[in-house]
Amino acid sequence: MQRTLKLWRTFKEGMTNFRRNGWLSLATIIILSLSLFIISLAGLITVGTRLIVSNLENRISITVSFNPDVNEGRILEIKQYLERAREIASIEYVSRDQALDVFLENNGSDPIIRQAIDEIGENPLLASLVIHAKQQSDYQKISTFLEASPYRTDINRINFEKNRKIFERLKHIGATTRKFGLAVGGAFGLIAILITFNTIRITIYSHRQEFEIMRLVGASNLYVRMPYIFEGILYGIFAGVTAVILVALSAYGLSGYTEGAFPQGNIFQVFTAYLPTIAVSTICLGIFLGVISSFIAIHRYLKA
Amino acid sequence: MPHTEGQPIVVFENVTKDYPGGVNALHDVSFRVFSGEFISLVGSSGAGKSTLLKLIYAEEIPTAGTIYFKGRPIKDINRKHLPFFRRNIGTIFQDYKLLPQKTAFENIAYALEVDGRSAKEIREEVGELLEIVGLGGKGEKFPRELSGGEQQRVAIARALIHHPQIICADEPTGNLDPVSTKEITDLLLEINSYGTTVIVATHKKEVVDQLGKRVISLIDGRLRHDEAKGKYNIKL
Repeated sequence: MQRTLKLWRTFKEGMTNFRRNGWLSLATIIILSLSLFIISLAGLITVGTRLIVSNLENRISITVSFNPDVNEGRILEIKQYLERAREIASIEYVSRDQALDVFLENNGSDPIIRQAIDEIGENPLLASLVIHAKQQSDYQKISTFLEASPYRTDINRINFEKNRKIFERLKHIGATTRKFGLAVGGAFGLIAILITFNTIRITIYSHRQEFEIMRLVGASNLYVRMPYIFEGILYGIFAGVTAVILVALSAYGLSGYTEGAFPQGNIFQVFTAYLPTIAVSTICLGIFLGVISSFIAIHRYLKA
Repeated sequence: MPHTEGQPIVVFENVTKDYPGGVNALHDVSFRVFSGEFISLVGSSGAGKSTLLKLIYAEEIPTAGTIYFKGRPIKDINRKHLPFFRRNIGTIFQDYKLLPQKTAFENIAYALEVDGRSAKEIREEVGELLEIVGLGGKGEKFPRELSGGEQQRVAIARALIHHPQIICADEPTGNLDPVSTKEITDLLLEINSYGTTVIVATHKKEVVDQLGKRVISLIDGRLRHDEAKGKYNIKL
C-alpha cells in the first residue's frame, strides 16, 4: 500500500517536473525526436531498399526451352515432375504459339522482324517452362537438377547463364545496401543516442543540487530517482510520437519519387503498411533511451 | 564546563576528518551533546564547522574516531538505512537548500511524502508548521517569491516536520539582515524550548553573545573551547 502510494507520488512528481521545466522538457523532446527520426528514417530506407531488391528478385525467372520435337504432353509431364521440387515457387507453361503471340505483340510492329518470320514460314520459337524459385540462390540448384534429369535430352537450352549475371548483381546490391544501411543507420543511431544522452545529462545536471537536498530530508535513492525515470518515459513517448509524424511527413514527401518501386506502391504506402511496427518500435526506443539516459545520468549524483 | 546530565544524544570520540588532497578538516575532536541543549559552534571560515555537522547527519564519514548517535556508532548504519536515520535529524543551511521547483508547502510536504504519510496527515501537519514558523498563507509561493528570512523559515519548518531529536543548522542566518537574523534565532530558541536539541554553526559574534548558551569553538579543525555559557571568543 505504502509502495503504491510512493510510486504514485513519484509519478505525479515526474509529471509536475515535466510541466514546470517546460522549456527544458521541450528542448529534450526536440533532440530526442530528431535522434529517433534519424534512426527510424534509416530503418525505413533499409527496409525499403530490401523490398525493392526482393521485388526485383520476384520478377526474375529461368526459362527452360524444349526441342521442337518434344510434344506438349511430354512438357506437361516434365512440369509435373518439377513441381515436386521444394525450391520451386511456380512454373508456367508457354506453348510455341503463345511464345510467338507474345513475341509478335512485343516486336510485331517492326517490319523487318515481321518479314523474317514470314520468310521462315513456320514458328521459329520453342515451347518453354518459366520457373520461379522460392529463393534466388535456388536457381543454380534448379538448373543443375534439370541438367542431370532424365529429361535433359528434351531440353534445348536453359537461360540460367544469361540471368546469372543479373542474379549476382542483385545479390551484390542487396548485400551492399544491407551493409551500407546498417553502417549508416548504426553510425547515425550512435550519434543520436550520444546527443540524447548528453541532453538528458544536462537536464539532470541542472537538478543535481536538488538530489542532495532530497536525500538530506530523508528520501531514499530510489525515491529521488523515480520521478526522473517517469520524466524519461514521458520524453520517450512525446519524442517517439513526434518522430513517427516526421517520418510520415518525409515518406509522404518522397512518395512521388518512389512510385512503383515497391510491391506496396510508393514509400508512403510502405510506411503505412509498416506503421504499427514503426510506431511501436520508435516509441519503445524513445522510452528506452529516455529511461536509460536518466538512469545513468542520475546515478553519479546518488552515491551515498 | 558544559552540561553533562542525562544520556548524550551525540558523542564525538577522537574524531578526525581528512579530505582528499591532504586537507585536515577536523583533528582529534571529542565532545558530547546532551538532549535539549542549544549549542553554538563557532569558528572562522574553514575551521571545520560544516564538516562537523555533516559528520552528524552522515553526509561525511570520519577518517578516524567514532561518532555515536543515541549510543550507536553512525558508521554502523547500513547505507540503505541512511534515509531513515536522517529523519531523526533536521538540517538547516545558509543557502536554505529549498527545492526551487516546489512551493513552500510542497518543500515541507516532501519530507513527509518520502515517509509514505497520507495526504490528509501531510495537509494538516504542513499547514500547522507553516503557521508556527509564521508563513500561514504563503504555502503556495515558490522559493523565488519569498524573502531570505521567509525561505529560511520554510527550511526550518521542513527540518521540524519529522519532529527530529536534533537540529543541525549551518550558518542559518549567514545570508540574512539583522532583523531576520533575530527572528530566525528566536525561532530556533523557541524550538529548543520544546526540547529539541539545536546545534548552530555560526560566525556571527552578536548572535552567540546574545544567546548565552553553550559554545564550542573550533580553530583549524581543533576543538579549542567548550563552555557552558560561552561567548564568541575567536579572534579574526
